[in-house]
Amino acid sequence: MAFPRKYLGHGVGLRTKHFASYLAAPPPVDWLEAISENFMAPGGRPIAVLEKVRRDVPVVLHGVSLSIGSVDPLSERYLDDLAALVRRIEPAWVSDHLCWGTHGGRYVHDLLPLPYTEEALTHVAYRIEHVQERLGRQIVLENPSSYVAFKDSTMTEWEFLSELVSRADCGILLDVNNIHVSARNHGFDPYDYLAGIPADRVAQFHIAGHSDKGRYLLDSHDHPVPDAVWDLYRAAVRRFGAVSTLVEWDDHIPPLERLVEESRRAESIESDALAGDVRRALP
Amino acid sequence: MTLAETQALLHAAVTREDGDRSLEIQRCFTGSPELTAAERVEIYADMYLWRLVDALREDYPKLAALLGDERFYALAEAYVREHPSAHHDLGRMGVHLAAFLRAHPDPGRPDLADLAALEWARSEVFFEADVEPARQDALTALPTEQFLHARLRLAPAVRLLAVEHDAVGLWRALEHADAVPPPAPGIQAIAVWRGGFDVFHTALELDEATALESVASGDPLARVCAAFGRREDAARAAFSAITSWFDEGWIAAADGPR
Repeated sequence: MAFPRKYLGHGVGLRTKHFASYLAAPPPVDWLEAISENFMAPGGRPIAVLEKVRRDVPVVLHGVSLSIGSVDPLSERYLDDLAALVRRIEPAWVSDHLCWGTHGGRYVHDLLPLPYTEEALTHVAYRIEHVQERLGRQIVLENPSSYVAFKDSTMTEWEFLSELVSRADCGILLDVNNIHVSARNHGFDPYDYLAGIPADRVAQFHIAGHSDKGRYLLDSHDHPVPDAVWDLYRAAVRRFGAVSTLVEWDDHIPPLERLVEESRRAESIESDALAGDVRRALP
Repeated sequence: MTLAETQALLHAAVTREDGDRSLEIQRCFTGSPELTAAERVEIYADMYLWRLVDALREDYPKLAALLGDERFYALAEAYVREHPSAHHDLGRMGVHLAAFLRAHPDPGRPDLADLAALEWARSEVFFEADVEPARQDALTALPTEQFLHARLRLAPAVRLLAVEHDAVGLWRALEHADAVPPPAPGIQAIAVWRGGFDVFHTALELDEATALESVASGDPLARVCAAFGRREDAARAAFSAITSWFDEGWIAAADGPR
């Protein structure tokens, strides 16, 4: 079994700051990623913009509130809203995060990490299956960045993620920046992470910037993509081939032109990395 | 620890529930020479509050401007403690802020709750469903004998508020960065609505507000028009008001008698 990969090219996140540009002209990128929760309201400007851009380019829905790892029951209200948005937008795929963010019915609106244990694996795999049945499609899960690790973990994050997507039969959104951030915060080798991920499950890449807080890296999405993340991205392309890639920039958001420039850089690096593979394959 | 126990612990630490959890945190999480386990958990706790305060600031820009950063942060912190987010949309977190301010009034600015109610209504209508507004023809096309039995339906993106101070004047002063007026007590009725992608509000005469509430309750036009009964020319006043409701796009439908 595998996740059928669709290659959409290079995209950026759909953010309010750029709405006027998208209403005036088609997006200057191959595809867009929309934060699902920001477009679940029945009307108003956000959903009107999303419907407009959906007519121009493919759209991927990326959620932050599914809370797939929580011990709370899955929110049927959330799944109803998500299913309605999926019917309305017909996204190329639907993604969320390998994390939890609810407890006792309360949302912390953060992507809290899980202990990587057999108990968590069984729990999350079961819930992914439920979500996929509700939506009538496979979903894609993103590796989170994290600042805490659990003493009870019995496997690495990449071992957990690989086993999870196999059991639940879903895809992986490999966030290259998150690998870099977590590697620094927890002291593992990010290239080991790449090597441990099954290529046939990788549906999408995220790349982004972060903040160096001295003693740790913060996944802030408020900077250009730094060289270390570009290097890891280059290695990811070599390992996994051409994968739909999205540049995330969520705070201190630059003009759309600057964001597109960053996306074009990803395209160029991907192209070079793939060409390098071809050269190496020649006798 | 079980998965449920680890989540209960991290949630309590991130939301800074009362109690000392330092030993449990050391037992549950891995520390390093650079960062102890407790410091790592605090990264999440700091982000939790900042994220929620930012979300509230987005929905209540005038209230935030009026209070300034420090007082708004203190208000938001107290509010979040009493009303943690219960909805997957972070934008819904501020739904109880006006009620919270009524329950915990600021002695110097008793009008904060009213300003909050106005800002929340503006935020809500921004995301309401789009409907094609009804044209006045829908009403005038009714046979005369049916007119007073007809019922109007308000568009989803219309809100009616009754507040206890001049929230409209306060909002306007903050919008134009004018000197902030002192609280001005007095019942004020306000209509808030969306036209296209823009949100508007206006103060209403109290009888017009009563008439609109009557529309919202599903009353027939005879009862709606009765709200203008104290005007010198009640029929003309009612006709003028109803015409303006259609012109503003507040009416989604005009239905004949059931």
